[in-house]
Amino acid sequence: MEQSTPLVLGIDAGGTMTDTILVDKQGNFAVGKAPTTPGHEAEGFMESARDATDLWNLDTNKTFEELEVILYSGTGMLNTLLSRTGKRLGLIVTRGMEDAVLMGRGLQSWSGYSYPDRLHAVTHAHPDPLVPRSRVRGVTERVDQFGQVVIPAYEHEAVNGVKELLNQDIEALCICCMYSHVNPEHEWQIGEAARRVLAENDVDVPIYFSHQLRPIIREQSRLNSTLIEAYATAQGRDQLLGVEAAAKQHGFPHSMQTMLSYGGLANVRYPRLHETMISGPVGGLLGAKHVGELVGTDSVIVSDMGGTSFDIGAVTRGKIPIDDEPTLARFKLNLPTLAMDTIGAGGGTIVKVDPYTHKVSLGPESAGSVPGPVAMDMGGTEPTIADCDAVMGRLNPDNFLGGKVQLNIEKAKQVLQEKVADPLGVDVYEAAEGMVNLLEMEARSSIESIISTQGVDPSEYHLMSYGGSGPLHMAEYSRGLGFSGVMTFPFAAAFSAFGCTTADYLHRHSQSVHIMIGPETSEQDRGEVRWQINKIWDDLDAHARSELVAEGHDSEAVTCEPFAMMRYTGQLEDVEVTAPATKLESDDDLDRLTQAFETLYETINRSASSYGEAEAGFTIMELGLSARVEKVKPELTRRPLGAAEPKPKANKGTRAMYYNRDWHEAQLWEMDMLEPGNVLEGPAIVEHPATTLVIPSGDRVRLDEWTILHYEHGD
Amino acid sequence: MASYNHDTIRDLIDGRLPWQSTRSIMSQYKDDDRFFKYIDILQERVTFNDPILLPIGEHLYIVAKQGEPQGERVVKCGCSYEFGHYTRNWKLKAMINVRDDEEEIAEIYPGRHSYDPDWMEIREFICPGCATLLEVEAAAPGYPIVFDFLPDLETFYRDWLGRELPKESK
Repeated sequence: MEQSTPLVLGIDAGGTMTDTILVDKQGNFAVGKAPTTPGHEAEGFMESARDATDLWNLDTNKTFEELEVILYSGTGMLNTLLSRTGKRLGLIVTRGMEDAVLMGRGLQSWSGYSYPDRLHAVTHAHPDPLVPRSRVRGVTERVDQFGQVVIPAYEHEAVNGVKELLNQDIEALCICCMYSHVNPEHEWQIGEAARRVLAENDVDVPIYFSHQLRPIIREQSRLNSTLIEAYATAQGRDQLLGVEAAAKQHGFPHSMQTMLSYGGLANVRYPRLHETMISGPVGGLLGAKHVGELVGTDSVIVSDMGGTSFDIGAVTRGKIPIDDEPTLARFKLNLPTLAMDTIGAGGGTIVKVDPYTHKVSLGPESAGSVPGPVAMDMGGTEPTIADCDAVMGRLNPDNFLGGKVQLNIEKAKQVLQEKVADPLGVDVYEAAEGMVNLLEMEARSSIESIISTQGVDPSEYHLMSYGGSGPLHMAEYSRGLGFSGVMTFPFAAAFSAFGCTTADYLHRHSQSVHIMIGPETSEQDRGEVRWQINKIWDDLDAHARSELVAEGHDSEAVTCEPFAMMRYTGQLEDVEVTAPATKLESDDDLDRLTQAFETLYETINRSASSYGEAEAGFTIMELGLSARVEKVKPELTRRPLGAAEPKPKANKGTRAMYYNRDWHEAQLWEMDMLEPGNVLEGPAIVEHPATTLVIPSGDRVRLDEWTILHYEHGD
Repeated sequence: MASYNHDTIRDLIDGRLPWQSTRSIMSQYKDDDRFFKYIDILQERVTFNDPILLPIGEHLYIVAKQGEPQGERVVKCGCSYEFGHYTRNWKLKAMINVRDDEEEIAEIYPGRHSYDPDWMEIREFICPGCATLLEVEAAAPGYPIVFDFLPDLETFYRDWLGRELPKESK
């Protein structure tokens, strides 16, 4: 590689391996790998980074000096949460709410379960609380929903409570009072009392206030957010700072960044680090938006099929919908997250046949990477989708993961025969294709359901398919859905990582409110409403700017985009409306805001003509803003279109492939040798070290000038 | 098809298996050798040698008698006390304690938790051999003793377990 300008280094520290993706300004990638070094993450990080820079023969220190961004994401904090090895917490809540940690939300007892398990209550169980009931104390106090003090906070109870908690050696204290998002006075008061007790006892433990972490209505989610931040992020932060120190030692001049669940970058000193804990599938959506802009489409359905799951999301007219109350490790949180659906369907998904009814089902269990599919010969005993693919000749036994693993086709065939084909009484190949078709059908119906909730015609969308197993199954899961185009990428397996490198510095702030705008609202009251909205937006604006400036950004570079979560009064769900102006200067501006809501509502649902204006009125439940600082993004290389016939060196011969109940002689191509303009006719298989693209007979694939692969179904 | 070892099934019976493992077993299709492994473990715990055909309660089993008349299917308590042929209600041969006055009711349902003895009584069935509480039923006063369960053993063995049950000598 000559002339390379390293731009972004993305690090993903998993449980066993630390992956590095180095992206240069021209959009080239280098991928490095090294074992994760628990306890000394910086070592694994440097080793992995060196592995990537070596690929391009770059000097590591010089690369670090030139890099604009280092983006670190890891599963450390999530593991702390899952393994329940976090801080020893104490909790103070409004008296009478002490059992909230035990009761949780009903759906927490089955969240993440398969459909049959959801139906069978015997499998339901609440997650273990992060703080045991014995370390929860109640304080008599009450603020009502308008923020007025109904019962003052009983400080002596707070003092006694904190003393008792200190006797139990707590390492952090959380305070969560009812309606503190409207009026945080009592949380402050209890906090002050706690500080005095801590000072008297000469103890230093951090105090977490629920209204500071996320001043949003819904007590349980706010409580969970507060507890998770206190419980799991401290160790993670130390780890991040350690890795940053190592990068700085090697000349990296900036602060290290992490990825937030709503697709923004934040400095590792970011005060609400739990927002980085659901960032897994975010990259794909950001990447899709970026590539979509490049190729001129603003509506994209993304589909990411990996080893264990199939993640689907939508970018509709340039907007990515936000899920405001996602679930993390079976806790409901108040945390805006880029909305994605996920089903248990991937290459490692285990195929099962009920011995009595012969009903076939897939997953949701996955063989994971250990023991992996049977064909990987690492101890897997249950047949998986990857085994079906291998048996049907769709995977290359000698080039799986770039040849790092030799696939044992015979063994896969034997297990498939014994556990699936024989019980069903069919031929082993027919069984294999049946299973794969079942997976593709599930994937397709999940895409259908996401389209129908967006209220947009599928023909307005492009489908992007990526992830290690995406291109392997895209032909069927996208067939007949009527997309205006279907795309995949040579770097499909690294698309999510690539997407992460396209993120901007983006922080989202919001505050719960309860503002009603009715048909009868007087001009004076509408003025009052405008004043209230503007006041909150101004406060959030100032806060957001100061936070980004503290992270080292120029105040001038910050752009703030206010939004309102709105509904027709009386409804239960709201939609996020982008404000027509940063400030509602006049009464007309307020009308423009409600109009923007109606337009959006009609796009998603159906026309509710003048329902808000004449009848129900509107309610604003939350006001917020996204504060963004643009970051340089990698560019994809644009090359002139060449001949339709690929260069001979891309040709790898042929292989027999089972498709549509028959064997075909498929042409083999090497993905990295293909060039813009090439057209591949099925039956063909395009191989890449990390992914395989299958093109059945009758279909074809065309490479455009960005080397993006466009999949075209035959009739 | 999943299959679990003897120790796992034993821990499952005793409720000592970690929740995650228990749940994963519940979510799978039933392991096809479970029944006989289960029976083996129960057999280790009872004081008699007659082979267990089917457990019908926490301490009650339908067994095939080794003594005379050989092969007769009788209900036995784990202590080996015999309740007679499985087609007849074993409860009729148990010691029965009926809770139908306020004092006795208050022992288990004190105060406002109590029930009206004119409308309901609780019958406790106790093994005459070892005094273990074998079963409890709630019924209206005067209602005949409930016959809980008359299994179709032949069909169960043949169609579900894939084995013929040795014939019972008449």
